[in-house]
Amino acid sequence: MSRGPDFAASIPRVAVHFSRVDRRYEPLKRIDVRYVVEAGGGVVRGMERSVLWYTEGKGEEDIGVHFFERITDRATAAAAAGTFGCELPRSPLSYEGVIVKIRWCVRVRLFFDGGRDFISEHVFDLGAVPAARLPSPG
Amino acid sequence: MVRLPRFFAKKRGDRRTGAAIWGSVGEAVFHLILVGAGLVFGGLLVSGVAVPEWRINHDFLESRGTVIAAGLARLSPRDEAGREPRSRWQPSLKLRYATNQGVEESWAVAGSPSPDRLAARQQLEGLQAGVELPCWYDPTAPHEVVLRRGYNWWMWALTLLLPSALVAFGGAGLVRAAAGWGKSEERMAAGRGLGDSLADGPVVALDHPGVPSCEDLVNSPGTVLPFRLPTDSPESWTLLGFGLFAGLWNIVLVVLAINAGLDLLGGQTDRLLLAVLVPFAAVGITGIVVFTRALVVATAVGTTQLEISAHPLRPGGQYDVLLGQGGSGTLEDLEMTLELEERATYRQGTDTRTERLVVWRQRLGKWERLQVAAGTRCEVRATLQIPATGMHSFVSEHNSVGWRVVVQGRPSRWPHFRRSFPVVVFPPLVEAAAEKSLIEKGGR
Repeated sequence: MSRGPDFAASIPRVAVHFSRVDRRYEPLKRIDVRYVVEAGGGVVRGMERSVLWYTEGKGEEDIGVHFFERITDRATAAAAAGTFGCELPRSPLSYEGVIVKIRWCVRVRLFFDGGRDFISEHVFDLGAVPAARLPSPG
Repeated sequence: MVRLPRFFAKKRGDRRTGAAIWGSVGEAVFHLILVGAGLVFGGLLVSGVAVPEWRINHDFLESRGTVIAAGLARLSPRDEAGREPRSRWQPSLKLRYATNQGVEESWAVAGSPSPDRLAARQQLEGLQAGVELPCWYDPTAPHEVVLRRGYNWWMWALTLLLPSALVAFGGAGLVRAAAGWGKSEERMAAGRGLGDSLADGPVVALDHPGVPSCEDLVNSPGTVLPFRLPTDSPESWTLLGFGLFAGLWNIVLVVLAINAGLDLLGGQTDRLLLAVLVPFAAVGITGIVVFTRALVVATAVGTTQLEISAHPLRPGGQYDVLLGQGGSGTLEDLEMTLELEERATYRQGTDTRTERLVVWRQRLGKWERLQVAAGTRCEVRATLQIPATGMHSFVSEHNSVGWRVVVQGRPSRWPHFRRSFPVVVFPPLVEAAAEKSLIEKGGR
Protein backbone atom coordinates (compact mmCIF):
# COMPACT_ATOMS: atom_id res chain seq x y z
CA MET A 1 0.00 0.00 0.00
CA SER A 2 1.46 3.32 -0.97
CA ARG A 3 1.40 6.23 1.40
CA GLY A 4 1.36 9.92 0.72
CA PRO A 5 4.52 11.96 0.74
CA ASP A 6 3.53 13.76 3.98
CA PHE A 7 3.35 10.52 5.94
CA ALA A 8 6.73 9.32 4.67
CA ALA A 9 8.32 12.64 5.51
CA SER A 10 7.15 12.43 9.16
CA ILE A 11 8.87 9.07 9.87
CA PRO A 12 12.29 9.52 11.46
CA ARG A 13 15.19 7.63 9.91
CA VAL A 14 18.51 6.60 11.37
CA ALA A 15 21.14 5.21 9.03
CA VAL A 16 24.00 3.38 10.75
CA HIS A 17 27.31 2.50 9.13
CA PHE A 18 29.51 -0.08 10.85
CA SER A 19 33.29 0.01 10.91
CA ARG A 20 33.23 -3.46 9.32
CA VAL A 21 31.17 -3.86 6.19
CA ASP A 22 30.28 -7.49 6.97
CA ARG A 23 29.13 -6.47 10.50
CA ARG A 24 31.03 -9.41 11.96
CA TYR A 25 33.20 -8.67 15.00
CA GLU A 26 35.45 -10.74 17.20
CA PRO A 27 35.29 -10.65 21.01
CA LEU A 28 37.45 -7.95 22.64
CA LYS A 29 37.66 -6.09 19.31
CA ARG A 30 36.43 -2.56 18.91
CA ILE A 31 33.20 -1.66 17.20
CA ASP A 32 32.68 1.84 15.80
CA VAL A 33 29.54 3.12 14.17
CA ARG A 34 28.58 6.29 12.38
CA TYR A 35 24.97 7.29 12.23
CA VAL A 36 22.93 9.82 10.33
CA VAL A 37 19.59 10.99 11.73
CA GLU A 38 16.66 12.36 9.77
CA ALA A 39 14.25 13.48 12.47
CA GLY A 40 11.29 13.63 10.05
CA GLY A 41 10.03 16.97 11.21
CA GLY A 42 9.97 16.13 14.94
CA VAL A 43 11.95 18.01 17.57
CA VAL A 44 14.56 15.74 19.15
CA ARG A 45 15.07 16.46 22.85
CA GLY A 46 17.30 13.52 23.75
CA MET A 47 19.10 10.48 22.45
CA GLU A 48 20.36 7.16 23.78
CA ARG A 49 23.06 5.15 22.04
CA SER A 50 23.73 1.62 23.12
CA VAL A 51 25.44 -1.62 22.19
CA LEU A 52 23.55 -4.57 23.61
CA TRP A 53 22.54 -8.18 23.23
CA TYR A 54 19.07 -9.62 23.55
CA THR A 55 17.53 -13.05 23.29
CA GLU A 56 14.94 -14.08 20.76
CA GLY A 57 13.00 -17.27 20.34
CA LYS A 58 10.49 -19.13 22.40
CA GLY A 59 11.45 -17.73 25.82
CA GLU A 60 10.84 -14.31 27.30
CA GLU A 61 13.26 -11.70 26.02
CA ASP A 62 16.36 -11.05 28.10
CA ILE A 63 18.62 -8.08 27.49
CA GLY A 64 22.18 -7.18 28.43
CA VAL A 65 23.56 -3.72 27.80
CA HIS A 66 27.30 -3.54 27.15
CA PHE A 67 27.61 0.12 26.21
CA PHE A 68 25.16 2.89 27.03
CA GLU A 69 25.32 6.62 26.48
CA ARG A 70 22.54 9.12 27.11
CA ILE A 71 22.61 12.54 25.53
CA THR A 72 20.31 15.08 27.09
CA ASP A 73 21.88 18.16 25.56
CA ARG A 74 19.32 19.17 22.92
CA ALA A 75 21.86 20.59 20.51
CA THR A 76 24.02 17.43 20.57
CA ALA A 77 21.00 15.13 20.45
CA ALA A 78 19.48 16.99 17.52
CA ALA A 79 22.73 16.84 15.53
CA ALA A 80 22.18 15.14 12.21
CA ALA A 81 25.14 12.77 12.54
CA GLY A 82 27.48 11.28 15.10
CA THR A 83 29.80 8.42 15.94
CA PHE A 84 30.29 6.14 18.90
CA GLY A 85 31.98 2.87 19.67
CA CYS A 86 33.31 0.55 22.32
CA GLU A 87 35.38 -2.55 22.89
CA LEU A 88 33.21 -5.66 22.70
CA PRO A 89 33.16 -8.22 25.53
CA ARG A 90 34.18 -11.88 25.44
CA SER A 91 30.58 -13.08 25.56
CA PRO A 92 27.82 -13.88 24.87
CA LEU A 93 28.55 -14.68 21.25
CA SER A 94 25.83 -14.26 18.63
CA TYR A 95 23.91 -17.51 18.38
CA GLU A 96 21.26 -18.72 15.97
CA GLY A 97 19.69 -21.53 17.95
CA VAL A 98 16.41 -23.31 17.41
CA ILE A 99 14.41 -21.98 20.37
CA VAL A 100 17.06 -19.61 21.79
CA LYS A 101 18.79 -16.95 19.72
CA ILE A 102 21.25 -14.33 20.89
CA ARG A 103 21.53 -11.16 18.86
CA TRP A 104 23.88 -8.22 19.25
CA CYS A 105 22.78 -4.84 18.03
CA VAL A 106 23.50 -1.16 17.99
CA ARG A 107 20.46 0.77 19.12
CA VAL A 108 19.82 4.46 18.67
CA ARG A 109 16.78 5.79 20.50
CA LEU A 110 15.50 9.27 19.79
CA PHE A 111 13.21 11.10 22.23
CA PHE A 112 10.89 13.69 20.74
CA ASP A 113 9.04 16.55 22.32
CA GLY A 114 5.61 15.26 23.31
CA GLY A 115 6.80 11.98 24.84
CA ARG A 116 7.25 9.88 21.69
CA ASP A 117 10.39 7.94 21.12
CA PHE A 118 11.84 6.19 18.11
CA ILE A 119 14.16 3.20 18.15
CA SER A 120 16.49 2.27 15.34
CA GLU A 121 18.14 -1.12 15.77
CA HIS A 122 21.00 -2.54 13.70
CA VAL A 123 22.10 -6.11 14.24
CA PHE A 124 25.69 -7.31 13.99
CA ASP A 125 27.47 -10.57 14.81
CA LEU A 126 29.84 -11.17 17.67
CA GLY A 127 31.93 -14.27 16.98
CA ALA A 128 31.21 -16.87 14.35
CA VAL A 129 29.18 -19.63 15.92
CA PRO A 130 27.34 -21.54 13.18
CA ALA A 131 23.58 -21.85 13.37
CA ALA A 132 22.28 -24.78 15.39
CA ARG A 133 20.55 -27.62 13.60
CA LEU A 134 18.49 -30.34 15.15
CA PRO A 135 20.39 -33.64 15.39
CA SER A 136 19.09 -36.39 13.16
CA PRO A 137 16.86 -38.83 15.05
CA GLY A 138 18.61 -41.87 16.41
CA MET B 1 -0.58 21.31 18.18
CA VAL B 2 -0.54 19.07 21.27
CA ARG B 3 -0.34 15.35 20.52
CA LEU B 4 -0.89 12.65 23.07
CA PRO B 5 1.74 9.94 23.27
CA ARG B 6 0.84 6.76 21.37
CA PHE B 7 -0.58 3.85 23.32
CA PHE B 8 1.03 1.17 21.19
CA ALA B 9 4.49 1.01 19.76
CA LYS B 10 4.71 0.47 16.03
CA LYS B 11 7.49 -1.66 14.68
CA ARG B 12 8.53 -1.36 11.07
CA GLY B 13 11.53 -3.57 10.34
CA ASP B 14 14.37 -2.35 12.51
CA ARG B 15 12.51 0.81 13.51
CA ARG B 16 10.05 1.21 16.30
CA THR B 17 8.08 4.18 17.48
CA GLY B 18 5.92 4.57 20.57
CA ALA B 19 5.79 5.90 24.07
CA ALA B 20 6.84 3.72 26.97
CA ILE B 21 5.30 6.28 29.30
CA TRP B 22 1.85 4.69 28.93
CA GLY B 23 3.20 1.39 30.18
CA SER B 24 4.67 3.15 33.21
CA VAL B 25 1.39 5.03 33.79
CA GLY B 26 -0.61 1.79 33.67
CA GLU B 27 1.77 0.06 36.04
CA ALA B 28 1.78 3.01 38.44
CA VAL B 29 -2.04 3.26 38.44
CA PHE B 30 -2.41 -0.45 39.14
CA HIS B 31 -0.02 -0.32 42.09
CA LEU B 32 -1.55 2.93 43.31
CA ILE B 33 -4.94 1.21 43.43
CA LEU B 34 -3.40 -1.59 45.49
CA VAL B 35 -1.82 0.89 47.91
CA GLY B 36 -5.11 2.82 48.13
CA ALA B 37 -7.11 -0.34 48.77
CA GLY B 38 -4.61 -1.39 51.46
CA LEU B 39 -4.76 2.02 53.15
CA VAL B 40 -8.57 2.19 53.07
CA PHE B 41 -8.95 -1.39 54.26
CA GLY B 42 -6.27 -0.87 56.91
CA GLY B 43 -7.88 2.42 57.97
CA LEU B 44 -11.24 0.73 58.44
CA LEU B 45 -9.68 -2.02 60.50
CA VAL B 46 -7.62 0.39 62.58
CA SER B 47 -10.62 2.60 63.28
CA GLY B 48 -12.86 -0.38 63.97
CA VAL B 49 -10.49 -2.54 66.01
CA ALA B 50 -7.28 -0.82 66.99
CA VAL B 51 -8.47 2.66 67.97
CA PRO B 52 -11.31 1.49 70.27
CA GLU B 53 -8.93 -0.96 71.98
CA TRP B 54 -6.27 1.73 72.35
CA ARG B 55 -8.77 4.19 73.85
CA ILE B 56 -10.04 1.62 76.34
CA ASN B 57 -6.47 1.04 77.56
CA HIS B 58 -5.41 4.70 77.63
CA ASP B 59 -8.39 7.03 77.91
CA PHE B 60 -11.01 5.13 79.89
CA LEU B 61 -11.20 5.94 83.62
CA GLU B 62 -11.43 3.29 86.32
CA SER B 63 -14.46 3.02 88.60
CA ARG B 64 -16.28 0.43 90.74
CA GLY B 65 -19.51 -0.87 89.28
CA THR B 66 -22.40 -2.60 91.05
CA VAL B 67 -24.30 -5.24 89.12
CA ILE B 68 -27.96 -4.31 88.96
CA ALA B 69 -29.04 -6.75 86.25
CA ALA B 70 -27.67 -9.65 84.20
CA GLY B 71 -28.88 -10.99 80.87
CA LEU B 72 -28.15 -12.32 77.44
CA ALA B 73 -28.15 -10.06 74.39
CA ARG B 74 -29.25 -11.86 71.24
CA LEU B 75 -26.91 -11.32 68.29
CA SER B 76 -28.72 -12.25 65.10
CA PRO B 77 -26.81 -11.41 61.93
CA ARG B 78 -29.03 -11.61 58.88
CA ASP B 79 -27.97 -13.58 55.82
CA GLU B 80 -28.26 -12.29 52.23
CA ALA B 81 -31.92 -13.25 52.09
CA GLY B 82 -32.66 -11.21 55.24
CA ARG B 83 -33.20 -14.29 57.41
CA GLU B 84 -31.67 -14.84 60.82
CA PRO B 85 -30.35 -18.37 60.45
CA ARG B 86 -28.44 -18.65 63.68
CA SER B 87 -28.40 -16.50 66.78
CA ARG B 88 -25.60 -16.09 69.27
CA TRP B 89 -25.95 -15.07 72.88
CA GLN B 90 -23.83 -12.36 74.42
CA PRO B 91 -23.56 -12.38 78.25
CA SER B 92 -24.10 -8.81 79.52
CA LEU B 93 -24.31 -7.01 82.86
CA LYS B 94 -26.08 -3.79 83.74
CA LEU B 95 -23.84 -1.77 86.04
CA ARG B 96 -24.26 1.26 88.23
CA TYR B 97 -20.99 3.18 88.54
CA ALA B 98 -19.71 6.59 89.48
CA THR B 99 -18.31 8.79 86.70
CA ASN B 100 -16.83 12.28 86.49
CA GLN B 101 -20.31 13.45 85.47
CA GLY B 102 -22.29 11.66 88.18
CA VAL B 103 -23.70 8.15 88.59
CA GLU B 104 -24.34 6.21 85.38
CA GLU B 105 -26.18 3.00 84.61
CA SER B 106 -25.26 1.07 81.48
CA TRP B 107 -24.89 -2.42 80.02
CA ALA B 108 -21.41 -3.91 79.63
CA VAL B 109 -20.21 -7.02 77.81
CA ALA B 110 -19.44 -9.74 80.36
CA GLY B 111 -18.16 -12.67 78.28
CA SER B 112 -17.79 -14.24 74.86
CA PRO B 113 -20.84 -14.70 72.64
CA SER B 114 -21.96 -18.31 72.25
CA PRO B 115 -24.47 -20.06 69.99
CA ASP B 116 -25.43 -22.16 73.02
CA ARG B 117 -27.76 -20.15 75.23
CA LEU B 118 -27.06 -22.32 78.27
CA ALA B 119 -23.28 -21.97 77.88
CA ALA B 120 -23.67 -18.19 77.57
CA ARG B 121 -25.75 -18.09 80.73
CA GLN B 122 -23.14 -20.14 82.61
CA GLN B 123 -20.66 -17.32 82.04
CA LEU B 124 -22.84 -15.13 84.24
CA GLU B 125 -22.76 -17.49 87.22
CA GLY B 126 -21.80 -15.67 90.43
CA LEU B 127 -22.53 -12.26 88.89
CA GLN B 128 -25.87 -11.68 90.54
CA ALA B 129 -27.23 -8.26 91.48
CA GLY B 130 -25.25 -6.44 94.14
CA VAL B 131 -21.83 -7.82 93.18
CA GLU B 132 -19.18 -5.15 92.84
CA LEU B 133 -16.70 -5.23 89.94
CA PRO B 134 -13.92 -2.99 88.65
CA CYS B 135 -14.96 -1.27 85.43
CA TRP B 136 -13.67 1.39 83.03
CA TYR B 137 -15.77 4.07 81.37
CA ASP B 138 -15.25 6.58 78.58
CA PRO B 139 -14.93 10.08 80.17
CA THR B 140 -16.32 11.67 76.98
CA ALA B 141 -19.27 9.23 76.83
CA PRO B 142 -19.78 7.85 80.36
CA HIS B 143 -22.41 5.30 79.29
CA GLU B 144 -19.66 3.38 77.43
CA VAL B 145 -18.31 0.95 80.03
CA VAL B 146 -16.13 -2.16 79.85
CA LEU B 147 -15.22 -4.84 82.38
CA ARG B 148 -11.89 -5.85 80.82
CA ARG B 149 -8.87 -4.11 79.37
CA GLY B 150 -5.85 -5.35 77.38
CA TYR B 151 -4.79 -5.98 73.82
CA ASN B 152 -5.70 -8.82 71.51
CA TRP B 153 -2.42 -8.98 69.61
CA TRP B 154 -3.41 -11.96 67.45
CA MET B 155 -6.46 -10.12 66.18
CA TRP B 156 -4.32 -7.08 65.41
CA ALA B 157 -1.82 -9.15 63.48
CA LEU B 158 -4.48 -11.02 61.54
CA THR B 159 -6.58 -7.99 60.70
CA LEU B 160 -3.58 -5.92 59.60
CA LEU B 161 -1.95 -8.73 57.59
CA LEU B 162 -3.95 -8.26 54.38
CA PRO B 163 -3.81 -4.44 54.27
CA SER B 164 -0.08 -4.54 55.05
CA ALA B 165 0.49 -7.02 52.23
CA LEU B 166 -1.49 -4.82 49.82
CA VAL B 167 0.44 -1.70 50.83
CA ALA B 168 3.81 -3.51 50.66
CA PHE B 169 3.11 -5.06 47.24
CA GLY B 170 1.63 -1.89 45.80
CA GLY B 171 4.36 0.27 47.35
CA ALA B 172 7.10 -1.91 45.92
CA GLY B 173 5.42 -1.70 42.52
CA LEU B 174 5.15 2.08 42.81
CA VAL B 175 8.84 2.37 43.71
CA ARG B 176 9.68 0.16 40.73
CA ALA B 177 7.46 2.23 38.44
CA ALA B 178 9.00 5.44 39.77
CA ALA B 179 12.52 4.05 39.26
CA GLY B 180 11.66 3.21 35.65
CA TRP B 181 9.58 6.29 34.93
CA GLY B 182 10.41 7.60 31.48
CA LYS B 183 13.44 5.32 31.24
CA SER B 184 14.15 3.19 28.23
CA GLU B 185 14.70 -0.57 28.37
CA GLU B 186 18.42 -0.05 27.69
CA ARG B 187 18.78 2.57 30.41
CA MET B 188 17.11 0.29 32.93
CA ALA B 189 19.33 -2.64 31.94
CA ALA B 190 22.42 -0.42 31.98
CA GLY B 191 21.48 0.77 35.46
CA ARG B 192 21.81 -2.79 36.71
CA GLY B 193 25.48 -2.69 35.80
CA LEU B 194 27.18 -2.26 32.48
CA GLY B 195 28.80 -5.47 31.32
CA ASP B 196 27.00 -7.41 33.98
CA SER B 197 23.37 -6.81 33.29
CA LEU B 198 22.39 -10.07 34.92
CA ALA B 199 23.28 -8.86 38.41
CA ASP B 200 19.80 -9.83 39.62
CA GLY B 201 19.64 -13.01 37.57
CA PRO B 202 21.74 -16.16 37.34
CA VAL B 203 25.31 -16.17 38.64
CA VAL B 204 27.69 -15.56 35.75
CA ALA B 205 31.42 -16.09 35.39
CA LEU B 206 33.81 -13.22 36.02
CA ASP B 207 34.49 -11.16 32.85
CA HIS B 208 32.20 -13.43 30.84
CA PRO B 209 28.73 -11.87 30.66
CA GLY B 210 26.04 -14.46 30.03
CA VAL B 211 28.31 -17.43 30.76
CA PRO B 212 27.30 -19.39 33.87
CA SER B 213 29.76 -19.66 36.72
CA CYS B 214 31.31 -23.09 37.14
CA GLU B 215 32.43 -22.70 40.75
CA ASP B 216 30.05 -25.42 41.90
CA LEU B 217 31.45 -27.82 39.30
CA VAL B 218 35.11 -27.62 40.29
CA ASN B 219 34.95 -27.89 44.06
CA SER B 220 34.94 -31.68 44.17
CA PRO B 221 38.20 -33.45 43.26
CA GLY B 222 38.08 -36.77 41.44
CA THR B 223 39.87 -39.97 42.46
CA VAL B 224 41.75 -40.30 39.15
CA LEU B 225 41.08 -37.11 37.18
CA PRO B 226 41.14 -33.58 38.69
CA PHE B 227 37.39 -32.91 38.91
CA ARG B 228 34.34 -34.97 39.81
CA LEU B 229 31.21 -33.57 38.21
CA PRO B 230 27.96 -33.29 40.20
CA THR B 231 24.94 -35.03 38.74
CA ASP B 232 21.84 -33.19 37.65
CA SER B 233 19.66 -36.25 37.66
CA PRO B 234 15.88 -35.86 37.47
CA GLU B 235 15.64 -39.36 39.01
CA SER B 236 16.46 -37.94 42.46
CA TRP B 237 13.67 -35.37 42.20
CA THR B 238 11.24 -38.01 40.96
CA LEU B 239 12.16 -40.19 43.92
CA LEU B 240 11.69 -37.28 46.32
CA GLY B 241 8.33 -36.50 44.73
CA PHE B 242 7.15 -40.10 45.06
CA GLY B 243 8.31 -40.16 48.68
CA LEU B 244 6.57 -36.90 49.60
CA PHE B 245 3.35 -37.94 47.91
CA ALA B 246 3.31 -41.37 49.54
CA GLY B 247 4.13 -39.88 52.97
CA LEU B 248 1.58 -37.06 52.94
CA TRP B 249 -1.19 -39.17 51.42
CA ASN B 250 -0.75 -41.92 53.97
CA ILE B 251 -0.68 -39.45 56.89
CA VAL B 252 -4.12 -38.22 55.78
CA LEU B 253 -5.20 -41.84 55.37
CA VAL B 254 -4.08 -42.73 58.91
CA VAL B 255 -5.93 -39.73 60.41
CA LEU B 256 -9.13 -40.71 58.58
CA ALA B 257 -8.68 -44.37 59.56
CA ILE B 258 -8.25 -43.43 63.26
CA ASN B 259 -11.45 -41.35 63.10
CA ALA B 260 -13.32 -44.22 61.48
CA GLY B 261 -11.93 -46.66 64.10
CA LEU B 262 -12.96 -44.41 67.01
CA ASP B 263 -16.46 -44.13 65.51
CA LEU B 264 -16.71 -47.90 65.24
CA LEU B 265 -15.50 -48.34 68.84
CA GLY B 266 -18.12 -45.83 69.93
CA GLY B 267 -20.80 -47.88 68.22
CA GLN B 268 -21.30 -45.44 65.32
CA THR B 269 -20.78 -46.21 61.64
CA ASP B 270 -19.96 -43.34 59.32
CA ARG B 271 -20.65 -45.03 55.97
CA LEU B 272 -19.52 -42.03 53.94
CA LEU B 273 -16.14 -42.01 55.73
CA LEU B 274 -15.72 -45.75 55.20
CA ALA B 275 -16.63 -45.38 51.52
CA VAL B 276 -13.99 -42.66 51.12
CA LEU B 277 -11.39 -44.71 52.99
CA VAL B 278 -11.38 -47.58 50.50
CA PRO B 279 -10.16 -45.65 47.41
CA PHE B 280 -7.90 -43.54 49.68
CA ALA B 281 -6.25 -46.70 50.99
CA ALA B 282 -5.82 -48.04 47.44
CA VAL B 283 -4.05 -44.84 46.33
CA GLY B 284 -1.93 -44.81 49.52
CA ILE B 285 -0.76 -48.39 49.05
CA THR B 286 -0.01 -47.75 45.36
CA GLY B 287 2.01 -44.68 46.36
CA ILE B 288 4.10 -46.74 48.79
CA VAL B 289 4.67 -49.47 46.19
CA VAL B 290 5.76 -46.97 43.51
CA PHE B 291 8.07 -45.14 45.92
CA THR B 292 9.62 -48.38 47.21
CA ARG B 293 10.19 -49.61 43.66
CA ALA B 294 11.82 -46.30 42.63
CA LEU B 295 13.98 -46.39 45.78
CA VAL B 296 15.07 -49.97 45.14
CA VAL B 297 15.89 -49.19 41.49
CA ALA B 298 17.86 -46.07 42.46
CA THR B 299 19.91 -47.88 45.07
CA ALA B 300 20.28 -51.21 43.24
CA VAL B 301 21.59 -49.65 40.02
CA GLY B 302 24.29 -47.90 41.98
CA THR B 303 25.79 -44.45 41.75
CA THR B 304 27.27 -43.03 38.57
CA GLN B 305 30.39 -40.92 38.92
CA LEU B 306 31.98 -38.83 36.22
CA GLU B 307 35.45 -37.34 36.40
CA ILE B 308 36.99 -34.91 33.92
CA SER B 309 40.52 -33.74 33.25
CA ALA B 310 39.78 -29.98 33.17
CA HIS B 311 37.01 -27.50 33.77
CA PRO B 312 35.70 -25.12 32.41
CA LEU B 313 35.89 -26.46 28.88
CA ARG B 314 36.72 -24.52 25.72
CA PRO B 315 35.56 -25.00 22.12
CA GLY B 316 38.04 -27.19 20.27
CA GLY B 317 39.42 -28.63 23.50
CA GLN B 318 39.86 -32.35 24.18
CA TYR B 319 39.27 -33.73 27.65
CA ASP B 320 39.62 -37.12 29.32
CA VAL B 321 36.52 -38.44 30.98
CA LEU B 322 36.31 -41.29 33.46
CA LEU B 323 32.95 -42.92 34.05
CA GLY B 324 32.53 -45.00 37.20
CA GLN B 325 29.39 -47.08 37.60
CA GLY B 326 28.59 -48.66 40.95
CA GLY B 327 26.07 -51.37 41.86
CA SER B 328 26.20 -55.07 41.15
CA GLY B 329 25.24 -57.40 38.33
CA THR B 330 25.38 -57.08 34.57
CA LEU B 331 24.87 -53.94 32.53
CA GLU B 332 23.52 -54.87 29.10
CA ASP B 333 24.93 -51.61 27.81
CA LEU B 334 26.24 -48.28 29.06
CA GLU B 335 26.31 -45.25 26.80
CA MET B 336 27.85 -41.81 27.28
CA THR B 337 26.86 -38.84 25.09
CA LEU B 338 27.66 -35.15 24.96
CA GLU B 339 24.65 -32.91 24.43
CA LEU B 340 23.92 -29.24 23.85
CA GLU B 341 20.50 -28.24 25.12
CA GLU B 342 18.58 -25.02 24.64
CA ARG B 343 16.13 -24.05 27.35
CA ALA B 344 13.52 -21.30 27.05
CA THR B 345 11.15 -20.18 29.78
CA TYR B 346 8.01 -18.35 28.79
CA ARG B 347 4.65 -17.38 30.19
CA GLN B 348 1.45 -18.74 28.79
CA GLY B 349 -1.46 -17.03 30.50
CA THR B 350 -0.74 -17.36 34.19
CA ASP B 351 1.52 -20.41 33.72
CA THR B 352 5.29 -20.30 33.44
CA ARG B 353 6.57 -23.00 31.11
CA THR B 354 10.02 -24.18 30.19
CA GLU B 355 10.80 -25.85 26.88
CA ARG B 356 13.98 -27.87 26.40
CA LEU B 357 15.47 -28.95 23.11
CA VAL B 358 18.68 -30.88 22.42
CA VAL B 359 20.25 -29.27 19.34
CA TRP B 360 23.53 -31.20 19.20
CA ARG B 361 24.46 -34.68 20.33
CA GLN B 362 27.58 -36.83 20.02
CA ARG B 363 28.17 -40.30 21.36
CA LEU B 364 31.36 -40.48 23.41
CA GLY B 365 31.26 -44.24 23.86
CA LYS B 366 29.10 -47.29 24.22
CA TRP B 367 30.05 -50.38 26.19
CA GLU B 368 28.19 -53.68 26.28
CA ARG B 369 27.88 -56.57 28.74
CA LEU B 370 29.70 -54.91 31.63
CA GLN B 371 30.05 -56.86 34.86
CA VAL B 372 29.87 -54.80 38.04
CA ALA B 373 31.02 -56.53 41.21
CA ALA B 374 29.40 -55.56 44.51
CA GLY B 375 31.47 -53.04 46.46
CA THR B 376 33.47 -51.95 43.42
CA ARG B 377 32.79 -49.70 40.48
CA CYS B 378 33.10 -50.40 36.81
CA GLU B 379 35.36 -47.80 35.15
CA VAL B 380 35.46 -46.81 31.50
CA ARG B 381 37.31 -43.94 29.83
CA ALA B 382 36.47 -41.74 26.89
CA THR B 383 37.63 -38.56 25.20
CA LEU B 384 35.34 -35.59 25.08
CA GLN B 385 35.84 -32.96 22.41
CA ILE B 386 33.92 -29.72 22.17
CA PRO B 387 33.48 -28.65 18.52
CA ALA B 388 35.85 -25.80 17.60
CA THR B 389 32.93 -23.64 16.46
CA GLY B 390 30.60 -24.81 19.21
CA MET B 391 28.50 -22.39 21.21
CA HIS B 392 29.64 -21.60 24.72
CA SER B 393 27.37 -22.14 27.72
CA PHE B 394 24.91 -19.30 28.10
CA VAL B 395 22.46 -18.37 30.81
CA SER B 396 20.10 -15.46 31.26
CA GLU B 397 16.95 -15.02 33.28
CA HIS B 398 14.65 -16.85 30.86
CA ASN B 399 16.98 -18.56 28.39
CA SER B 400 19.96 -20.84 28.49
CA VAL B 401 22.21 -22.93 26.28
CA GLY B 402 23.90 -25.68 28.26
CA TRP B 403 26.32 -28.55 27.68
CA ARG B 404 26.10 -31.82 29.57
CA VAL B 405 27.37 -35.37 29.56
CA VAL B 406 24.54 -37.89 29.64
CA VAL B 407 25.05 -41.45 30.88
CA GLN B 408 22.40 -44.03 30.02
CA GLY B 409 22.47 -47.63 31.15
CA ARG B 410 20.41 -50.78 30.75
CA PRO B 411 20.92 -53.15 33.69
CA SER B 412 19.92 -56.75 33.06
CA ARG B 413 17.44 -56.92 35.94
CA TRP B 414 16.39 -53.32 36.39
CA PRO B 415 14.79 -50.61 34.28
CA HIS B 416 16.84 -48.30 32.07
CA PHE B 417 18.45 -45.32 33.84
CA ARG B 418 19.65 -41.91 32.63
CA ARG B 419 21.89 -39.49 34.52
CA SER B 420 23.23 -36.17 33.32
CA PHE B 421 26.29 -34.15 34.34
CA PRO B 422 26.33 -30.46 33.35
CA VAL B 423 29.60 -28.94 32.17
CA VAL B 424 30.38 -25.31 31.44
CA VAL B 425 31.95 -24.34 28.12
CA PHE B 426 33.59 -20.92 28.01
CA PRO B 427 34.00 -18.95 24.75
CA PRO B 428 37.25 -19.57 22.81
CA LEU B 429 40.34 -17.93 24.27
CA VAL B 430 40.77 -14.75 22.26
CA GLU B 431 43.61 -13.17 24.25
CA ALA B 432 46.10 -15.71 22.94
CA ALA B 433 44.99 -15.16 19.36
CA ALA B 434 45.11 -11.38 19.80
CA GLU B 435 48.62 -11.50 21.34
CA LYS B 436 49.83 -13.75 18.52
CA SER B 437 48.43 -11.30 15.97
CA LEU B 438 50.18 -8.37 17.68
CA ILE B 439 53.53 -10.22 17.74
CA GLU B 440 53.17 -11.03 14.06
CA LYS B 441 52.42 -7.37 13.27
CA GLY B 442 55.38 -6.17 15.35
CA GLY B 443 57.72 -8.65 13.65
CA ARG B 444 56.90 -7.40 10.18
